[in-house]
Amino acid sequence: MQRSGAEIALSLGVVALGIGVAAVTATLPSEGGYAGIGPNFIPAVVAAGILLLGGWLSFQAFTGGWRKPGEQPEAFQARPFLWVSAGLLAHMLLIGVGGFVLAGTALFACVARGFNRGRWLRNVAIGLVLSLAIYLFFVKLLNVNLPAGWLAPVLGGAGI
Amino acid sequence: MEALNALMAGFGVALQPMNLMWGFVGVTLGTFVGVLPGVGPALTVAMLLPLTVKLDPTGALIMFAGIYYGAMFGGSTTTILLNTPGESGSIATAFEGNRMARAGRAGPALATSAIGSFVAGTIATILLTLLAPLVVDLALKFGPADYFALMVFAFITVAAVLGNSTVRGLTSLFLGLLLGLVGIDSQTGQARFSFGVPELLDGVDVVVLAVGLFAVGEALYVASYESRIKGTIEKVRGSMLMSAADWRRSWPAWLRATGIGFPFGTIPAGGSEIPTFLSYALERKLTKHPEEFGHGAIEGVAGPEAANNAAATGVLVPLLTLGIPTSATAAILLGAFQNYGLQPGPLLFDAQKDLVWGLIASLYVGNIILLVLNLPLIGIWVKVLEIPKDILYAGILVFATLGAYSLHQSWVDLAMLYVFGLLGFAMRRWDIPVGPAVIGLILGPLAETQFRRALSISQGDASVFVTHPISASLLALTALIVIVPWLVRRFRPMSS
Repeated sequence: MQRSGAEIALSLGVVALGIGVAAVTATLPSEGGYAGIGPNFIPAVVAAGILLLGGWLSFQAFTGGWRKPGEQPEAFQARPFLWVSAGLLAHMLLIGVGGFVLAGTALFACVARGFNRGRWLRNVAIGLVLSLAIYLFFVKLLNVNLPAGWLAPVLGGAGI
Repeated sequence: MEALNALMAGFGVALQPMNLMWGFVGVTLGTFVGVLPGVGPALTVAMLLPLTVKLDPTGALIMFAGIYYGAMFGGSTTTILLNTPGESGSIATAFEGNRMARAGRAGPALATSAIGSFVAGTIATILLTLLAPLVVDLALKFGPADYFALMVFAFITVAAVLGNSTVRGLTSLFLGLLLGLVGIDSQTGQARFSFGVPELLDGVDVVVLAVGLFAVGEALYVASYESRIKGTIEKVRGSMLMSAADWRRSWPAWLRATGIGFPFGTIPAGGSEIPTFLSYALERKLTKHPEEFGHGAIEGVAGPEAANNAAATGVLVPLLTLGIPTSATAAILLGAFQNYGLQPGPLLFDAQKDLVWGLIASLYVGNIILLVLNLPLIGIWVKVLEIPKDILYAGILVFATLGAYSLHQSWVDLAMLYVFGLLGFAMRRWDIPVGPAVIGLILGPLAETQFRRALSISQGDASVFVTHPISASLLALTALIVIVPWLVRRFRPMSS
C-alpha cells in the first residue's frame, strides 16, 4: 500500500462535499410540527455522515492508502476519455436545437471515435441509421415525444 | 387457499394476449441487452424503462419482470462465452462456465444454466407465492418506527457489510442519501438542494443515476483503460444437449442452490453475490469429480446459476411485500413502480390485487418463456456478443441519453447524467461500490418519511425506536451485524 494523490484528492473532495451539504442545510427551516424535527434534520444527519466518512477516508489515504484497494488497471488513456466526454457534451448542446437524430449521430460518432481510430464515415453512418431507427420507433410507434429539430421538415410529426 | 385464488386470478391477468406479448417482448429485450458485455441486469432494467412510458402499469410491470429475468440469463451467456461477468452474481459462474466453453462444452454449460434457471426460478416463484401473503400479514403490523428500523438494517447490510471496504460502501450510501434529499420535501413542501433549478424539484430520478453510474461510467472507464483489450468469444460447438451424466450431476446442484439462493434473496444481503459463491463452494465440496473443478465442472455452473435466479426471485419478496429494495436492480424496479404512483408494500396487495398477482403469475410465465426462447436463439445471442466495442458503447450511450432526456425533455438531465458518469468512472476506478448509492437514493426518502412519521405519532419522543419490539429487535440485529465481525477481527489471533 502506498499513498496515492488521487485517493487523497477524492477523500478531501468528500470532506468538501460534507461542508457544502452542511452549509446548505443551515439555510433550511427547522420548524417541525408534531415530530419536533423539520426538513433540515435528515440533511444535517447526512452532512454529518459525509463529513465523518470524508475524515475516515482521508485518514486512510494519509496513512498508507485506502485499505483493500481493488484491481489496478493499466495506464489511463486521456484521448478516448475526452472523446466520450465530447460526445456527451455535443449531444447535450445539440439535442434542443438540432433534434434527437442529429444529436444522437454526433454522440455515436464521437464515442465510437474514442474506441477506434478515425473511422469517421463509418461512425457517422452507423450513428445516423441507429438514431433514426430509435427516433422513428419511439415517435411513430410508442408516441413518445422526441425533438425533431432541424430535421423536422423531413421527419414529420407523431403517428404513422 | 386465498393466495391460490388470488394467483389464479393473477394468471387470468398474465395470460391475456397483450400481457403475454409484453412478457415475450420483455424477456427478448432483456436477454438481448443483458447479453451485451458490460451491461448487467441493473443497467438493462434502467435502460429499457423509457420503453414502457405509454403502457398501462400492469403491462409495464409484466414486461419488467420479463426484462429482469431475461437480463439475468443474458448475463450468464456472456459470462460463459466471454468470461466477463456483468455483475457480481455471475462471477461464480465464470469459474467453471468459461472453462467448459473453452473445453468445447459451451452447449451443455448454457443448457444447464438455462434449465437450472428455469427450475430454480419456478421453485422460487412458488416459494414467493406462499411466503408473500405471510409477510404481508406481518408487514401490516409494522408501524413507521418498525419500517424505519428495517430500512436502517437494509442500509447497513448493503453498504457496510458487503464489499471490500466498509468506509467506501458507506460513502456510496451517503452519496445516494444526499441525492435522495434533492427536491421537494414530501412532508412540508420545502425545496431542498435544488438551487432554484426546476428540473431538480422533482428530485433525482433513479434512471438518471443508474444509467449515469453504470452506462456512462462504464463507457468512460472502458474507453480510458480497456479500449485496446479484446476478449475472446468461445465458440458454441458440438451438441447443445446435456448428456445423462450432465443431468445426473446438475439436478441436485439446482435444488441445493435454490435452497441457498432464495432465502439470501429475501434478506437484505445485497442480492446474489453471497449465495452464488456459497453454492459454488458447496458443489465443490460435495462433488464426486473434484478433479474437474477448475477445468469445467458442470456442477460449478449449475449451482451458481440456479442460486442466482433463486436469489433474483427472492429479492422480489421484500420488494413487493415491504417496499424494500435489497439490490440495485430491485431499487430501479421500485422506481418503475413509483413512476406509476404505486408504492409496493402490504397495502398494494390489497389495493392493486390484480396487478400484484398478475405480476407474480407472470413470473411463472416468464420462466417458461425464458426456457423456450433462449436455448433455440443461442445463435443470435452469440452474434450479439460479437458487436465490436466502439459500436457497442456508442450505441449504449445513445440509448442511455434517450432515457434521461425523455424525463423532462431537458438538457439538465443530460448534464446530471454526465456528472453521474464521471462519478461512476471514479467509483469504478477506486473500487467504491455503486449499488449502495442507487439503493440510498430510492430508499432514503422513504426512510426519512417513516422516521418523521414515527416521531409525529410519538410527539417527538425518540424512544419509539427502542420501545417498539419489532423496531428494537431490528436495530439490535443491525448493531450485531456491525459489531460481531469487528470483534471477530479484533480478537482473532494474529497468526493468520
